Amino acid sequence: MHTSDLRFQVQNLTRVEGEGSLHLTVRDGQVSEARLQIFEAPRYFEALVVGRTPNEVLDIVSRICGICPVAYQMSAVHAFEDLFGVEVEPATRALRRLLYCAEWIESHALHIYLLHAPDFLGYPSAVELARDHRQLVTDGLRLKQIGNQLLALLGGRAIHPVSVRVGGWSRAPRRAQLTAFAPALHEALQLARATVDVALQLTPPEFEREPRLVALHHPREYPMNEGRIVSDAGLNLPAQAWTEVFHEIQVPWSNALQARDDSGLPYLLGPTARIVLDHDQLHPLAKEALDNSGALESIRRNPYRSIVARGIELVQAAADAIDIVEAYRPPEAAAVAWRPRPGVAAWATEAPRGLLFHRYEVGEDGLVAAATIVPPTSQNQAAIEADIALFAPRVLGLPMDEATRRLEQLIRAYDPCISCATHFLDLSIDGAPA
Amino acid sequence: MNAPAPVIRLLVCGSGDRGDDGAPLCAVAHVLPALDAPLRGLLEVRRCEQLDPIDLIDVSPGEACLILDTVVGVEPGAIVELSLEELALQPTVTPRSSHALPITQVLGIARSVRGSLPRGTFVGIGGKWFGFGDVRSRALRDGMDDFERAIAAAIAALATPQEVAG
Repeated sequence: MHTSDLRFQVQNLTRVEGEGSLHLTVRDGQVSEARLQIFEAPRYFEALVVGRTPNEVLDIVSRICGICPVAYQMSAVHAFEDLFGVEVEPATRALRRLLYCAEWIESHALHIYLLHAPDFLGYPSAVELARDHRQLVTDGLRLKQIGNQLLALLGGRAIHPVSVRVGGWSRAPRRAQLTAFAPALHEALQLARATVDVALQLTPPEFEREPRLVALHHPREYPMNEGRIVSDAGLNLPAQAWTEVFHEIQVPWSNALQARDDSGLPYLLGPTARIVLDHDQLHPLAKEALDNSGALESIRRNPYRSIVARGIELVQAAADAIDIVEAYRPPEAAAVAWRPRPGVAAWATEAPRGLLFHRYEVGEDGLVAAATIVPPTSQNQAAIEADIALFAPRVLGLPMDEATRRLEQLIRAYDPCISCATHFLDLSIDGAPA
Repeated sequence: MNAPAPVIRLLVCGSGDRGDDGAPLCAVAHVLPALDAPLRGLLEVRRCEQLDPIDLIDVSPGEACLILDTVVGVEPGAIVELSLEELALQPTVTPRSSHALPITQVLGIARSVRGSLPRGTFVGIGGKWFGFGDVRSRALRDGMDDFERAIAAAIAALATPQEVAG
């Protein structure tokens, strides 16, 4: 090894959902390689759904994640309905958007307050943060609770909801049930607005880069369940056509597939991409929060500002949910009738962490014959690695624990959802002394 | 002097359709009807698919808390009984039902916000199979009688009025 070569190994990433590590190779002061190593065991969900009916698939894919189960159900149910030519009632469409709002609230609140805020305020975890900033953590927990309660109200469970069905719902809520929840949503809106103020006060490390952004875009609303895939480079294609431009690749250091577009370059999904590409579609209250923040450009260029983007999306989700609840009239039938037809079902929706693409091949028997599920974290891996390679030289001269902390903070800015685990971190250097 | 018997918050974790994960739900379905009415009247039963700090934060000072969950890290069917303080330290077992945050973070945040953990007990049973459906593993089924006895005993112990100093 060259005397100026260094290897950084962040053994276990903390405060991310899942099992992963970071490996850096440094040569002559430059990062020659950054590897986000995801060693969470493969979970084989794409094989588990083979031979299943579409409605069974909805229940199975919701188990992929305890934090964003709705996203998996939404991408799947829209894919099947698109293939089968199912037209759902407007109330069903609104309820599905409401369900997604619930997930965005609980997921973003978890990340902002319990996973990412400790970084900015100098605490090793939310446990220590809560000792000194009790109200801050309590507000975050309350927001998360409201999201989970709305999930339970619509989906039958606070996690892994079970009520979504092809054609509608197994049971649609009564108007009175949703009306009774309105005060909680107004409380969530106030907490969300305060969250934006909190996020704006968190000083981000100085680091800017030019990301390539991809998100859904809908002409009349902030994207969740519907829209075309767009990018800041002018891409514009139907949500069903993800595979025409993007493709998955396997890298030897990760159990999760990565993704690239036709150029072979990484791209970034999630709140940052949505805010930048879709800010004109924000709810007026969320747009007001964004305009008042003056943070649009810094959200685009500085990855640490994703915490502000999530805060604004909390306002978006809470305000949107209130509108839906106030206008809600139950559908005439919980679900419309449908018949399966063979073919390829594909769709993309906006999970809290970004665009989630599903593709299913349905056979003549109405059962799934093959499946492809492309989560946002898989797609974001390469962008995370690219940003780490740019950022790491700034911290290589710092003590090991400080360098580790700063690299972890950067990774957490992308809210990677590998699964659900947290560990304390060990950092080792193999090679020449720093 | 003795204080009145405390209210006991019973936090029943797990999913009924994920194999051994449903053990706490099955157990309380047997244990609760068999309790004496006065004892049963002390219980506030809360179903928790995932244990959240909020479930512990609003336990009032005079109340106690009993958490039931399936665990990994012990032999399937084995019974684990820990105080919440013991569970908050580095646990050798992992409860299944803290999805978003690990159990040490759930308890740690609750302690930080609340000032201390509520008086309470964790009772778990070792699980083996967590696939889809309500079928339980043989090993877990063999341990269910012990699990139910441990739950009933924990409820009785927590219902015992605590001596008040002075």
